[in-house]
Amino acid sequence: MLILSRKLNESIVIDGRITVKVVRIDGEVIKLGITAPADVPVHRQEVYEEIRQSNQAAAIPHLGPVPRLSTSQRSTTEALALQPLAGTLPAKP
Amino acid sequence: MNCMARTETGNLLERNQCVIRMPLGLLGFERYKSFTLLTRPTEEPFLRLQAVGNPKLAFLVVSPFVVAPDYRPTIPKEDVRFLGLEGPEDALIVNIVTVSGPKQATVNLKGPIVLNRRTLTAKQVIPVNSPDFSVAHPLPVRGG
Repeated sequence: MLILSRKLNESIVIDGRITVKVVRIDGEVIKLGITAPADVPVHRQEVYEEIRQSNQAAAIPHLGPVPRLSTSQRSTTEALALQPLAGTLPAKP
Repeated sequence: MNCMARTETGNLLERNQCVIRMPLGLLGFERYKSFTLLTRPTEEPFLRLQAVGNPKLAFLVVSPFVVAPDYRPTIPKEDVRFLGLEGPEDALIVNIVTVSGPKQATVNLKGPIVLNRRTLTAKQVIPVNSPDFSVAHPLPVRGG
């Protein structure tokens, strides 16, 4: 592992296109500002791991019987068409 | 077939041949970047997200609002830009289901898949309010 020392407001550059900057140091909490191209996903490691493991467990190489839900059965098409999406996108500035 | 045209939900599902592009793949499955969304009458309200090029890789997904009516993930600005979403009506959200037995299943509300129905580009996003959601939200399974 490469270990570098950085002070507040100093950065490192990765691959000429990703910049990681120390923007705040507050006791044990360090805030990093990351600038990366849109095709470079950036995640908190523990959240990434949690979702990755969930995806692995959900992958169905050989799917058995699909369970039936006990909620009111709506057709898939109807369920998708009725999605209440208001509020899911950030408000436009 | 013009899959790039604005699609109504029904059309999207009927046109099973339409390929959904996931340029970043799914977390842990980054190498698969194309999927189709399939529906089978016996499996409603679930759908299958089937990897193109690997018949053995599929995921069961569901519209989250069927199982968690109050679910409101806030999609990060970067993802809205990445997906080219111009308004809520452009987006379609599905969540991955884990089946752990004939009577036991959970849904991942922490990592929803957001699809732009206009461009058929999708991404598994981590919502701004993801700490509010579980990766294993229990589903009300009949007989479970």
